[in-house]
Amino acid sequence: MPKELQSPMDSANPAQDVQGIWGMTIDQDLCTGCQACVAACSMENNVPFVGEVDAGYGRSMQWIRIERFWQGSYPNIKATPYQPVMCQNCHNAPCEPVCPVFASVHSASEDLNLQVYNRCVGTRYCANNCPYQARVFNWRDYMDPRQRPELVTLSNHWNPDVTVRRRGIMEKCTFCIQRIRHAEDTAASENRDIRDGEVVPACAQACPASAITFGRINDPATKVSQAADTSRGSHLLEELGTIPHVTYLAGGA
Amino acid sequence: MSALTKPLFAGSKAEEQEDPKEHLMHDRMPRGEMNSMMLDSMHSTTWKYWTVTGVLAAIVATCLFYAWYYLIMNGLGVAGVNRPVYWGIFLVEVVFWIGISHAGTFISAILRVLKVEGRRPFTRAAELMTTFGLVQAGISVFLHMGRVWLSYWLIPIPNERGLWPDFHSPLMWDFMAINTYLLCSTMYLFLPLIPDLAMARDRATGWRKTLYKILAIGFRGTEGEWKNLKTAMNIFAFAIIPVMFSVHTIVSWDFAMATRPGWSSTVFGPYFVIGALHSGMAAVAIVLFLIRSTMKNMKYFLRPEHFELLGMLMLLVSMAWAYFYFNDYLVPWYGGDKWEKILTNFIQTGPEWYLWYLMLFCNVVVPWAILWNRKWRRIPWLLAIVGFLINVGMWLERFIIIPETLTINRMPFTWRLYVPAIEIALTIGNFAFFFLLYMLASRLIPLIPVWEVQEGQESHVLRKIGKARISAVSEID
Amino acid sequence: MDKKISRRDFLKVAGVGAATTAVLTGCGPASRLVTREPYTKMPEYTYNGLSTYYATTCRECSAGCGLIVRTMQGRALKTEGNQNNPVNLGKTCARGQTTLEGLYNPDRVTDPIRRDSRGSTIVKKMDWDSAIQVVADALSKNRPDEIAFLMGLAPDHLFDLVTDLTKAAGAAAPVRFGALGMFEARATLVQAANDMFGQAGLPFFDIGNADLVFSFGANFLETWLSPVAQTREYSQLRRSNPNRRGYFVQFESRMSQTGAKADEWIPAKPGSEALVVLAIGRLVAEANNITLPTAFSNADVNAAAAAADVSVDTLKHLASLFASAGHPLAIPGGAALGGSNGLQVADAVLALNALVGNVGKAGGVFLSPVAPLTDAYHRPANLKEMSDFVDLLKSGKIKVLFVHGVNPVFELPKSLGLEDAMSKVLQIISFSSFPDETALQSDYVFPDHHGLESWGYQKVATGSSSSVLSGAQPVIVPFFNTKATADVLLAAVQKAGGALASALKFKDELEYIQSKLSSLISEPDGFFSAPEINTFTAFFQQYGGWWKTTDNRVALSGSDALNKTFNASAAQFNGDGDFFLLPFVAPVIAEAGANKPHLQETADPTTTVMWNTWVEINPDTARQLGVQNDDVVSITSSAGTVEASVYLYPAIRPDTIAMPFGQGHTAYGQFAQGRGANPADLLSNSTNEAGDLAFASMKVSVKKIGKKRQLSRLEGVLGIYGKFGQQ
Repeated sequence: MPKELQSPMDSANPAQDVQGIWGMTIDQDLCTGCQACVAACSMENNVPFVGEVDAGYGRSMQWIRIERFWQGSYPNIKATPYQPVMCQNCHNAPCEPVCPVFASVHSASEDLNLQVYNRCVGTRYCANNCPYQARVFNWRDYMDPRQRPELVTLSNHWNPDVTVRRRGIMEKCTFCIQRIRHAEDTAASENRDIRDGEVVPACAQACPASAITFGRINDPATKVSQAADTSRGSHLLEELGTIPHVTYLAGGA
Repeated sequence: MSALTKPLFAGSKAEEQEDPKEHLMHDRMPRGEMNSMMLDSMHSTTWKYWTVTGVLAAIVATCLFYAWYYLIMNGLGVAGVNRPVYWGIFLVEVVFWIGISHAGTFISAILRVLKVEGRRPFTRAAELMTTFGLVQAGISVFLHMGRVWLSYWLIPIPNERGLWPDFHSPLMWDFMAINTYLLCSTMYLFLPLIPDLAMARDRATGWRKTLYKILAIGFRGTEGEWKNLKTAMNIFAFAIIPVMFSVHTIVSWDFAMATRPGWSSTVFGPYFVIGALHSGMAAVAIVLFLIRSTMKNMKYFLRPEHFELLGMLMLLVSMAWAYFYFNDYLVPWYGGDKWEKILTNFIQTGPEWYLWYLMLFCNVVVPWAILWNRKWRRIPWLLAIVGFLINVGMWLERFIIIPETLTINRMPFTWRLYVPAIEIALTIGNFAFFFLLYMLASRLIPLIPVWEVQEGQESHVLRKIGKARISAVSEID
Repeated sequence: MDKKISRRDFLKVAGVGAATTAVLTGCGPASRLVTREPYTKMPEYTYNGLSTYYATTCRECSAGCGLIVRTMQGRALKTEGNQNNPVNLGKTCARGQTTLEGLYNPDRVTDPIRRDSRGSTIVKKMDWDSAIQVVADALSKNRPDEIAFLMGLAPDHLFDLVTDLTKAAGAAAPVRFGALGMFEARATLVQAANDMFGQAGLPFFDIGNADLVFSFGANFLETWLSPVAQTREYSQLRRSNPNRRGYFVQFESRMSQTGAKADEWIPAKPGSEALVVLAIGRLVAEANNITLPTAFSNADVNAAAAAADVSVDTLKHLASLFASAGHPLAIPGGAALGGSNGLQVADAVLALNALVGNVGKAGGVFLSPVAPLTDAYHRPANLKEMSDFVDLLKSGKIKVLFVHGVNPVFELPKSLGLEDAMSKVLQIISFSSFPDETALQSDYVFPDHHGLESWGYQKVATGSSSSVLSGAQPVIVPFFNTKATADVLLAAVQKAGGALASALKFKDELEYIQSKLSSLISEPDGFFSAPEINTFTAFFQQYGGWWKTTDNRVALSGSDALNKTFNASAAQFNGDGDFFLLPFVAPVIAEAGANKPHLQETADPTTTVMWNTWVEINPDTARQLGVQNDDVVSITSSAGTVEASVYLYPAIRPDTIAMPFGQGHTAYGQFAQGRGANPADLLSNSTNEAGDLAFASMKVSVKKIGKKRQLSRLEGVLGIYGKFGQQ
């Protein structure tokens, strides 16, 4: 089996082959909930729209959702800081061992969770087991122009670097792996290491408040490591021991 | 033939005066007559039979197969599953039918091993339940899958790309366990069937003769054949018991291995096994009642004493289930995990609170209130009703464990209820298919293991000890 | 060479070569032979080749953000922010991201069309030659005063061209209008700057360098003026100084997305804003021991507190914050300016800045830099002027109306009677790319290219500290049989002949743009310079525009502001309903995003509603009205009635209901049509003192009509509200 496709359980010491661990920080104090990341992600990753009825039934397919709760009651009410939640690319990802066909696999070299679309048979176990509810399922053939004539023209902007998914497949945020691969290829062809800031996922690229920082978190010199290393940083559901690679910087004062 | 004897029932006063003819084992009948009774019931098909079969077949064709086709062509969007309830009634059905299937093995293997004589006339019906239930469970698994046309990827087939299923996945264990169970139980169904098929072959004509000839694989009833058959059955009876326990334990691991509140529980293994027996026994009661009241000559084979035996088992299992349910309740409560608490609260007081109360009513209150009474236990229709209610309760229990529990996760922003859609049709189709299989089987194979009844009758004697007449059985081994 | 070329490497090189060839020839003559196929039919193992990137300008709103569009094989794939453009510095909003869904929208007007009866969807396709003839006839066969042009909010090259055209023809100057401008109350802002500082122009609020921001209704993180730039500024407010986090207070009766980010949210009663500002000013002056300036001398703190339904202690606390801050900044905007006394509010807020001396310095108030190619800020028409324009149409004096870049039938309050007025116009020619409501009421639609298919420039009104001219260029060949409106007009002018033809002797749009740009070659402090126009144009395209590298904001003096006298009063309201109506521009879809499916499916930031219109009602009020979530209510004002589903919104005053503007289209394609309701139907045409629409001055009644229509929300109601709601 190629190293890439090994389950984390297979390697006793996963840090052994690490080339660089990708991670992200999201500054909730800066996030204005403007949804630019959501739109950017959808446009970059060929995320389909599902229509009003399905969207209202919890089937919208955006890879990022921005959560907002309420604190207190009128007039002393506050919206909690906006919290964009996407796949946290856990080191110990609960979604991975439960997939019966290795569609949800771990990249040992970069500590990423990969979703192999064409291997997925749609048991949806991974989505159940994801404590962050970060996975979305193709409930219908949302991207098939034969079923949705409006897509005949709309499909022209689909990103050729990203697979178009059909019905019955689980998907999730990939940290824009196509951009990571592109940067890796470029770096390899120039015989150098990837520079900090060379890989920018679509969400971070769009974010008008620059609330999202992306980079290698195993290198203490990168922006993302420094941002994550403040007293404000925390992980979602830390107590589960999933070791997520997205760090949230607390909102408010 | 060992001469070991043991009392089958020892007497209270009331029983002393009982007519021994009430017991099938003492109500002897010549072999030939019994055989033709059985065959007669298989051959007589009334218009009622054909109507019911036709209706069931129509339901299966539309509600199951057409709806399934529709589901495959349009994707799971036509079902009610969503985020966060990724698993809906499909999985409820899987667990439910696997649960139903447990009764067959339990009755025929465990009771056989424990030499419970009352089992004899209904082992076949119960074993069929195992196979037919597993068929429904298997269908439900496939209904559930997003890309069912690739389901063969779960099978470890060597291929040039080195792709292999992940044996870390509880679903893989489940897949293996169910397949093993289906294989074993089908073989275990087949073995005791052989002498009856041979009997049928000897008396049948036309296409039936051909069919039984093939199925009876040349069994002629020689001493050697019987010996081999008995050995094989013994081996299977012992071997299948751990398989049976493991299957539902493994099914429970689909849930218990997950990180979700309400699922991640160590008691799930035995709890699921008991739950399976609970629904399985109840289902046997329903099926026996239906067979007895609709098929010819069956009142001879299936008597109140058998329902009484079943009733006792049902009461016992209900008590065990209640104990495990309490356990499953106690541990999260004592653990005090925030999400578990919310979940418990949600199940009992949330928008679907009535399901929880209905479940407890059906699973505990009904059996405890009715089955403690020996007289009531002996009323077949009452037992069938209790069985039906227990099955409703057990179905609800699975509904609460799967879609309702899935509503609550650690991301409250996503909490949503589940509204079933095409699953309802498919569930109806599943049930219709189950009964359709029984309908067909009732006319194709002997639903009563005639040879076992005959064997039992031969080994039972009434002995006079003092004034009392004691039923005794000599083991034929 | 010690490394052998493997077969794989060879294929890679060959693939790149082939792809490059394909890209290079993609726009050449061979492109006629290439058919566009959706990617779903891509053959397996196709190597995708390399992308090309074009700098252009986002045309979704008038902010003028720079875009870099990734294209491949003649398709536009992704919009990204232009990092050089000072307006957005590489960032985009959700609308900018989905602009491709406008480009490839299935409902675009694909050909020039003629409509025999207005409002009918039955149309006849035309060819462009006859279309140009129609325009030429319209220009030449009518007297100049019988021709009117109505254009969009963006001050772009087409607006300049039409201005030149009308000037040469002797016709009235084109009218510029847009719903965003209407809800931003731009005329009020400009007028207030003139009132207080003696200089007309669009104020610039230096949020990034302030350390305390009081926003009076300004939804500056949503759609207000230049949201991407302001969000960046907000980010600086919070984080630019590692030792000090800027503080932010929002005054509004309904918590907007901007309000959700505020440290304190003050639900002041609608209409009381002017009183509150003056009271705070008085308290600030007292706290700082300054002699009370004339401006604030009339303020009555207790009366203001009572009118605003805010405690005196809160006002004192806020005033002490403002008094002690190093760079306190007060911003007027949104509904605060949409009251009948909107100008008073704007004046008072600017005076508050002047009170703490925060004018013309870092973290304070400036005037926005004047864009290149222009002498001053030219604001779009306010509602008063639009009302006059509608009256002009009504009078029947206008024989031909050209509409470009705006959808006034949808955007203007119905009470203005535009549709009625349009029926008096003999000929209406729309240049809309989409079958919107106005195009539906036109006799001809001669579709312009989509913004990503067209040349152009856009003068940036605000958002950057330097003067910016954002440049646009086509990133793909036109997808449909559309034609640039500038080209249509230029060709028509030549066809019409006469003096007009000799005044506008340009071969095409590009030549016109170059003629305009040529004046910039000699300008100092440019981001780039070039010796001659062709090189300059090439750079202009490469960098996506031209801007100065210096700070061109206009410094102001606030000394006079404090000597003004205010007779502040609470605002007046129209109608006798029980509730204040607060219409606001939907933050995500805004005024024209409803035809983009991904934008429709993007959750509203505060309510998470998708695909529809909701009406926000305080849960307590709802209980009194007996309505629940998803109940349809009818909302009636003196101007009209609309129906929408209820959203129990915990962060709104009990006496206020709020509705987003952006849905309720009766045309505009399959994703927009027949969806939701338009709160503009509830608005009267009353204005504030600056002539802007007093959109927040309506009182409405709410009635349950016994229907239910479920709103699609991203949030799960179960986990957020009610018994199981988590915080």
